[in-house]
Amino acid sequence: MMLSKVLYVNLSNKSINVVDRPDLFSKYLGGSGVASKLLLEETKPKMDPFSPEAPIIFTTSCMTGIFPCIVKAVSMFKSPLTKNLGESHAGGHFASALRFAGYAALIIRGASDHPVALEIMDDEVKIRMADSLWGLSPLDVEKVLRKNDKGMQSVISCGRAGENLVYYSNVIVDRYHHFGRLGLGAIFGSKKLKAISVLGRKGIQIDNPIDVKDMYDKINQKVVKSDEMAKYHYLGTSANMLELNELGALPTRNFKESRFEDAKSISGEAMAESMLRRKISCPGCPIACIHLAELRTGFAPEHEKGKKEIFHEEVSVPYNYEPMYALGSNLLIKDRRDLILLIYHCEKLGLDAMMTGTVLAWATEAFEEGRINLDDTEGIKPEWGDAESYIKMIDNIVEMKNKFYVKLAQGVVAASEKYGGKEYAMALGNNGMAGYITGYGCIVGPLVGARHSHLSNSGYSIDQKIINEPIKIESIVDFLIEQEDWLYVFYSLGACYFARRIYSKELIVEALKTLGINKTQEELLNMGKEVFHNLYKFKVREGFELEAQNIPKRIFEVQTPHGKLDFKLIKSMIEYYIKRREKEGISLRPEEKAIKELLK
Amino acid sequence: MRFHIEVVHPERCIGCYSCVYACSRHLFNTVDPSRVAVFVRVNGSLENPFTVIACRFCKNPECALACPKGALQPLPEGGITLIASKCKGCKTFDCIDACMIKALALDENTNLPIICDRCGDCAKYCPHNVFKYEEMK
Ligand code: SF4
Ligand code: SF4
Ligand code: SF4
Repeated sequence: MMLSKVLYVNLSNKSINVVDRPDLFSKYLGGSGVASKLLLEETKPKMDPFSPEAPIIFTTSCMTGIFPCIVKAVSMFKSPLTKNLGESHAGGHFASALRFAGYAALIIRGASDHPVALEIMDDEVKIRMADSLWGLSPLDVEKVLRKNDKGMQSVISCGRAGENLVYYSNVIVDRYHHFGRLGLGAIFGSKKLKAISVLGRKGIQIDNPIDVKDMYDKINQKVVKSDEMAKYHYLGTSANMLELNELGALPTRNFKESRFEDAKSISGEAMAESMLRRKISCPGCPIACIHLAELRTGFAPEHEKGKKEIFHEEVSVPYNYEPMYALGSNLLIKDRRDLILLIYHCEKLGLDAMMTGTVLAWATEAFEEGRINLDDTEGIKPEWGDAESYIKMIDNIVEMKNKFYVKLAQGVVAASEKYGGKEYAMALGNNGMAGYITGYGCIVGPLVGARHSHLSNSGYSIDQKIINEPIKIESIVDFLIEQEDWLYVFYSLGACYFARRIYSKELIVEALKTLGINKTQEELLNMGKEVFHNLYKFKVREGFELEAQNIPKRIFEVQTPHGKLDFKLIKSMIEYYIKRREKEGISLRPEEKAIKELLK
Repeated sequence: MRFHIEVVHPERCIGCYSCVYACSRHLFNTVDPSRVAVFVRVNGSLENPFTVIACRFCKNPECALACPKGALQPLPEGGITLIASKCKGCKTFDCIDACMIKALALDENTNLPIICDRCGDCAKYCPHNVFKYEEMK
């Protein structure tokens, strides 16, 4: 029997109830699929992301916790950053704890007028007053809410950035993981929801233990023995730093260049040698891709009465490629300790490290160009490679010190609309770009992807596969469509993106069968497509228009492994993409506009 | 097949719970970290390394001595076996308190302590060689 219980929590009237939704789970299995449907159900068109009625949806899947690497919780909400689809996935203990507590999904509605925390212990669900937690770092919240109790516990919370409604604030999950990118932290903040703690002790009963164990073993062997995931286990994604630099695809100095002369010093290799302290896994995955750096910061000098400092504060800071590019090469930060310090600063405040890097890079350039001045920055001179000023600016963003910082807190597009410099506001679909300037796929992929992420359809990977080949518009677009449709099957299972090469289509069909779920490959693919359609239904309803998306000019000025990119080719790809998708029966433009065009 | 298992490198633990999940699959056909005989414990915060605990197979087991009903029988090779009929209805759970390293958990579904049966799965599934294990003759 598939778990399909949805826990509804209303923060306005403090009501709590559970509704069984076998209809949704049998159709979409969980994850992004179920969430896409719940999002359409739970939202009215064009609602303010910060209004009390804007929901937060969390889903797990029928496979969560049962098979290796099926560890992700999916969140959906209306993003304050894009004013459109908010979809973000997080590892850590959250999905497993929720599932072990007996819930397949959790929906938060309403808003509280004072800080609260949600505490779930199996059937016991409490909305607790949490003034005492307000203002705390998510890293401290994790400590104070951690129970040393049996079962599986997860603690998630927003930081100052979320409380203050920074549009790209994160919800930090079990210290090292994130619901990142699209501002879930601010939605927590707008609801005065500081944290959620889930303790699950019911577990998952397995009906066909022999089949499930055989299947587990088969998958697990692939995970631990094959090379498919070895990269994540070894250096982690930080290995990309040197690989992309070599390729000439490493965004540097706000995407002005694609090689960083100091890449070596902030590379995964250098990190592993000098700062890596230990690694940690999501429960249910033997890979341990989370690499933790040891950051030692000096204790207050006055404490030692003028003597040399010998005592250091020491913390573990998670690092991986994306924040390393965004706060590293893209800002010309060449000291790896500075880089880790910047990442740590974002973590403490619950700020998305990628967008923070994007915003700071834009601000540095805008300052150089005189679009902003010292009055705007409160006397701070943003300078490439200068971590100290960047840290001060991060604080000012989170505290929204003045009009300028309020704009920075709304993301790079909002800032460039006010101050100019749109040509180098490096976002696609309003979401900050990921660390790839590999070719056409890394631009068109996030542009068309439902959540405007490089993980929407792996555009950056096709670029790297076809280096030295002539660009074929159709084959790139076909790849992006196939990938995204398939990934939505994968994301409906709550699977980790890093395990995408482990779980072939055949394997997923077989694994589902051991759980008593019979779906053919074709049915799954249709389901993936349908999930994408659901999401675009939401996007278009909220006013998204693919053709109207801005592409920063900088993209066409920088050298990539495919040479300088050609705007005309990108335009043709988008046109072909729209044609192909519209053939599937979905519209990629707002209805009024589509009708107007029909009448023309 | 029965195994002698021993936690020898808890500091290597990455918190993947492969051992814990394997144990609950083996003992109860569940995935359930609260029904196991091997424990990955978070120490106050994920900032700190994990503690990994499994039965030490004591020669003179404090759990067995503590049991008022004589339901836990010490075994010649160390460790214990449970005589469920004697244990049933006991509400003291003295055995659980008695085990100093907290290797004994109460199964809240059955109200019986969960005893390691030396299947070795925890050790076999651990990707970081936290355990040492060896087949028993
Ligand atoms: S349960 Fe504890 S006391 Fe009993 S044999 Fe195992 S380690 Fe020793
Ligand atoms: S040996 Fe078997 S029963 Fe004992 S703790 Fe390990 S997995 Fe559980
Ligand atoms: S399997 Fe090994 S590494 Fe994983 S949680 Fe257990 S002891 Fe730790």
